[in-house]
Formats: sequence, structure tokens, C-alpha cells
Amino acid sequence: MAGVERMKRLPLDGIRVLDLTMMWAGPYATRVLAEMGAEVLKIESPSAWDNIRTLIPLEGVEEPWNGSYYFNDYNRDKKSVTLDLSQARGRDLFLGLVAQSDVVIENYRASVMDNLGLGYETLRGARADIIVISMAGFGKFGAERDHVGFGPIIEQMSGLASLTGYGDDEVPYKTGVSYGDPVAGKAAAAAVAMGLIRRRKTGLGVHVDLGQRETMSTLIGEAFVAASLRGEQTPQHGNRDVRYAPQGVYRCLGEEQWLAISVRTDAEWEAVAGLIDARELTNLSLEERRRRHGELDTAIGSWAAEQDPQAAMDALQRAGIPAGRVLDSDKIHDDPHLAARGYWVELPHPRMHPWKQPTTTWRFVEANPQLRRHAPLFGEHTREVLSSLLGVSESELNELRAQAVIGDAPLNPGIG
Amino acid sequence: MDESLLEGVRVLEVGGGFAAAFAARWLAGFGADVVRVDPPDESLTADEQIYLLPGKRRVATEPAQLRTLALAADIVIEDQKPGTLAGWGMGPLDLRAEKPALVVVSVTPFGQSGPYATYEADNIVAFAMGGLMSLTGHPSREPLVTGGSQAYCLGALNAFGAAVTALYGSMVQGEGDWIDISLQEAAAGMLELYGPGSAYNGLGAHLRAGNHVRAAWAIYPCADGFAGVCALERQIPALFAAIGDPELQDERFRDPLQRALNDDELQAKLYAWFGVHTKDEILAMSPKFKVPFGAVLTPADLLENPSLAERGYFDEVMLPDGQVAVVPGRPFLGFPWTPPSALHVAGADTASVEVDWLGWNV
Repeated sequence: MAGVERMKRLPLDGIRVLDLTMMWAGPYATRVLAEMGAEVLKIESPSAWDNIRTLIPLEGVEEPWNGSYYFNDYNRDKKSVTLDLSQARGRDLFLGLVAQSDVVIENYRASVMDNLGLGYETLRGARADIIVISMAGFGKFGAERDHVGFGPIIEQMSGLASLTGYGDDEVPYKTGVSYGDPVAGKAAAAAVAMGLIRRRKTGLGVHVDLGQRETMSTLIGEAFVAASLRGEQTPQHGNRDVRYAPQGVYRCLGEEQWLAISVRTDAEWEAVAGLIDARELTNLSLEERRRRHGELDTAIGSWAAEQDPQAAMDALQRAGIPAGRVLDSDKIHDDPHLAARGYWVELPHPRMHPWKQPTTTWRFVEANPQLRRHAPLFGEHTREVLSSLLGVSESELNELRAQAVIGDAPLNPGIG
Repeated sequence: MDESLLEGVRVLEVGGGFAAAFAARWLAGFGADVVRVDPPDESLTADEQIYLLPGKRRVATEPAQLRTLALAADIVIEDQKPGTLAGWGMGPLDLRAEKPALVVVSVTPFGQSGPYATYEADNIVAFAMGGLMSLTGHPSREPLVTGGSQAYCLGALNAFGAAVTALYGSMVQGEGDWIDISLQEAAAGMLELYGPGSAYNGLGAHLRAGNHVRAAWAIYPCADGFAGVCALERQIPALFAAIGDPELQDERFRDPLQRALNDDELQAKLYAWFGVHTKDEILAMSPKFKVPFGAVLTPADLLENPSLAERGYFDEVMLPDGQVAVVPGRPFLGFPWTPPSALHVAGADTASVEVDWLGWNV
């Protein structure tokens, strides 16, 4: 095969991505691309920066847009380039970068790129085989294209929230994070790889239209089977399972310490009944365990209430029972298993003290991707990128700065 | 006509749990030749099988013969307990040594290494251990698992993305890789601001807030169900314009710091407003005012949704008894997508795969 090299490199080594995305979904996608070896140029305007920079400002920090743990989480391993795309000069420079890039990715509302004069045809004019990923909430066309939405809205509109709930009050629940965002982000990262495969096979680029709601609905396909075949609305069933019993989440010793337990077979139930000292319940069949689920929950709950959650999990696991702590946003950073896998990594940051950050989920065992660098300061790489890729001179840079086409800080930053 | 993107790419699905089956389903939809090794004990429900298995050939193969099939594949997706493949004489690194272009994706609850590597888990346990559950549910009740099988789905999303990325790397470099996907890690890296916030500030855990993160980021009962709003600071003026209550122009609601102190009062106003509007009325205001409003829709609602119909979103699956199920289709537009063919019977394709993949003469 032509162009094959024998040395192990990251799969996206040599790929350049122009990243116009903001908030979570898009930046999450491009963080993955960076982890896989791509050079990601994050484009922000001095007058329209990624709001995540300033959403949770740390108190007493100068330039809060450069010292946000939240921004950092989605944007490490990227370069920051400022360009005001609403100014003609900014737009021209952007198209110059497109000519030297492989991928453009954006998560604006459906109409924004066209309104900026940067629709797919224009981008293709700058580079014929450009791979463009659009990830509007409800897609680039269709009756709902102009709806706006963040992750929780996507979750409601996808059908997923209708399935989540305790089941005794018919109240739907949101997932505790803006779940639509990371889901769309991971799918968008996959779409980039597919675009690269297409380009390699055919020489052609592609415009991907990723409607975030549509990606989300694919995660509950079996509920669509039930609805279309039998007219059934999948009931909310709390923490119980459709195939096993008992299953639930039980309070343990300590403040807000919980353990999830799932019993899949008669043998597993026998082991659990022994462990919790409820021998009179040992021989219940699946059918009986379903019918008496509440009673079993009480028995398990009484036992769990006296247990240390970690010790209880380990004891159940030793008996081969699926059991896991409900790890919270604090305790998860001390989980011995994640620690043993080197999941949390501390990177130096010029404005912040070190903290535990998650490494990549895509653990390529051989190429071994590693976190390399903190999220970029605002405009940190503008000069480097514009001069090296487009030959913009020092005096031109000064002029661009004077016109706020580029900048070293957001204009008028407030909260959010 | 554009040929399918993954035309000619052979995928072997070993294990057949939800996550591996879902990742392989997308590969099939984008044109790969997917062969599923049916597990001895099927763990998928009937409805999950209808969603996840069409478009795949299904074989019944003894572990001893799996190695030959794996070496005939371009991508192996497996969800066996760590060490199982090696026990069958087909450890991922051994397969890779024999066929350097091969991509192997392992998707397991806790990954291939570490003290919990061989721990048992199903969806709810992986969801709990990944941190998402601690953030989900009502503060006065127990933590709640999200509907469907989301821990598995996250595994599938990551397995699919890693598989196509590694396939691209293999096309360019001639070298595939072995990718170790952990369901726990897939979730642990998406705890929004709460994960990094707890890690950075050391102020302890952020716990579940139910449907009300704050008044303008919440789900409310509405006239005919439930609806929601997620307004950032820059969208607050538009939200207040949509609601139209003149009192919202007071400084105590307009100023972000004062608003935070008056969140209960704002929430009461929103309860009242949502309560007298229908989902359709609320959704119509989203594009009009550019406010992120939503409504809690059901799968049945979405099957009738004109926008999804216009976008050709749904696929049909023909069942053996002639019934047709309607299911979500491609995750995104841009590449040819093959709607699922009929659902094959378990083990039905063993002979045809032996001919196509192994060159055996029947």
C-alpha cells in the first residue's frame, strides 16, 4: 500500500481540524480528535468567544476566561486562534485556513454558517475535499431546523427523558448532565473518521448533517420497537430491570453513599440471600422475585444500611454478583480501580493549580494516546498560526488586532 | 450511486451483549459485512434484538474456530470478560501480531486492567460506577438510572468511534490497534462541570438536583405533559420576553447575581406559566424567541414527527411473522446508509460465512 509507514503513530496524526464549536457537544468531539493526534485549531472571535470560558468564573482570578477548569476539561490539547468571522478580513483569513485544513466542524444553529457566508459550498470552494461536520440540534434542514436546544432539551425531545423516572409518579427525569452533548460529541468524532475514510477511498469530501436529537434517539431504539409494533409506551421503571430481579440502589453507611446491585440468575440470588442473611428467601424463582420485589428491596436495604459501600461491593463481587458504588463527582477521583488504570492525569497549567483530569476513553493500547497540554489561553496561538500558515506579517497582525479581527482577550466579558 | 463507505470491510462481533451489538449495528448500516457470533445464552430482549441485529449475518461457531474468523476480519468487536479471548487462543495482541492491519475493539464494564477488570457488571452497575447516577434523580429519593441502557450505549458510541478511527489509521499506516473501552471510563469523563469542579475545588461532591438545576434550567409540568427550558445568561432576556410577565423586568430577576438569590420566586413564576401552556405552544416559541425550550416527547410522538419524516430518519425492519418495526436509522446524514434488512435467525448464516470469509467449499 502506498504511503504506509511502519512506525506506530496516532490514527489522526497529520490531520488539521478547524474547530468553530462552542459549549460542550462540539468541543467534546474535537477534544477526542486532538487525543487521536489531530491538530485542532479552536477559532473564537474577540466578540463571540466560547461561553464555557466564563460560565463558572473562579473568584478572584484575573482573566477568568483563561483560568476555568470547566473550559479546560473540553479544550485541552487544542490551539486557540482568534478570528472575527463576521468581518470580511476575518472571514477571508478563515477561508485561507480552510484551504490548508482537512476538517471544519461547527455546532451553530442551522442557519448561522450560511448567514456568515460560510456555507458548505463556500468552504468547498476553498478546499474541494474539505470534510465539514455540522451538528445543529435538530439538523440542517427540516421543519424543526430553527429550534434551539442544549443537551437537556435534546434529551427531552429525543424520547429518552420520557423513559427515565421512578415509575410511581409518572414524572420524567433528566439525566444529571446535559446528556445530549457528549453523545453528539462522540458521534461527531466518529463522523470525522468516516469522512477521512471516504476521502481516502474516493478523493471526495463530505458535509455531515448531525442532528443531535437524532443521534440521541438512536440510544433508545428498543423503545421505538415497542411503540411501533405494539403501541406501547415503555414504562418508567425506576432502578429495576426488565429481565432480572431484584435490581436496585441501596443506601449504605456514610452520607449519601449508595450501592447498585443487580441479580441476574437464581444462583446469584441464592448467594445474595446468604450474604444478607435472608435465608428464608433463598429459593424464590425469578417470577416470585419480581412479584415480591419490594420485600426483597427492604431486605437488601436493611443489610446495606449497615455496610461500608466499598466493602459491600467487594463482598458481592467476590460472590460473582454485579454490584457497584454510586460513585459521586468527588469519590470517583479516589476510586482505586481508575487510579490503577491511570485514568486521572494532572497537567500543568500557567494559571491554575493541578487537578485530576480524565484521560482519553479511546485507549489505543499500542499507539497509547496521552494528554499533552492544558487548554489554550485565549488567542494563545493566533500569531503562530496566522503567520506560519498564511504568512500574515507582524504589521498586519497589529492592524487586525486594532480592528478586533483578532484579540488577546474577549471584549466585554460578563458572566456566561 | 455512492458505494457504501464500509463496503468490503469485514466486522466480527464476538460476545453479542448490548454494547458490542450496537456498535456493530452502525458499522453494518454504513455498509460493513458484519458477522455476529451468537452467544450461547442470548442476553438481548426480543425488542433489543429487533433493533440491534438486523443487517448482520449470524453464525454459531465454537470458540476453537473463532480465531480463523477473527483473522479473516478487518475489525473485531468483542465484549467478553478480559482474558477470555486469550483463553480461546485469540488474544487481541496475538491476533494483531498475525494480522497487523486488524482492529480489535474490546468494550467491557471496567476495561482490561486494574483490580475491577473481572468484576461483574450490567448496565445499572456500570452507570453507577461511572458517576452519572449520583447526579441523576430527585434529591429526596435514591439516585436514579437513566432510561434504556445508557451505560451500554455509551460503550457502543465509543466503540464505534474508536473502531472507525482505528480503521482509518490502519488504512493510512497499515497498522490497526487494540482499543480498550471501559464503560465506567466512558461515563466518568462526561460529568459536565461537576467532575472537574469537585476535582479542582476539593469542596466535595455535587449531588443530584432532580429536574431543577435552577429555575431557567429545568423541566416543568405543562398543560398536557412536561416541558423544559435551558436558558444561559445571554438567553434570559429572550426567555422573559417569551413569558411576558412585566414583573420579570425587575432588577431582582434581570441581574444575574440577584436572580440567583430569587430563584425560588422565578421558579414559581415558571411553574405557573408552563402549567397553562401546551407542549406545542411552548415549542413554537423556541425558534420565535430563540429560547431553548423543549418538551418531553415519547417515541410514539416522534414516530409522527414531521421534521424527522422530512429528514428520512426512521428505518423499517421486517420481522419473520411479516410485521414491520419502525426504528431510529442513521446517527447522522452524509454517508450512504443501508436500512436494515430482515432479522436473521440465530446461527442461520454459518455456512455462507464459511464460504465468503474462509473460502471453504461447501
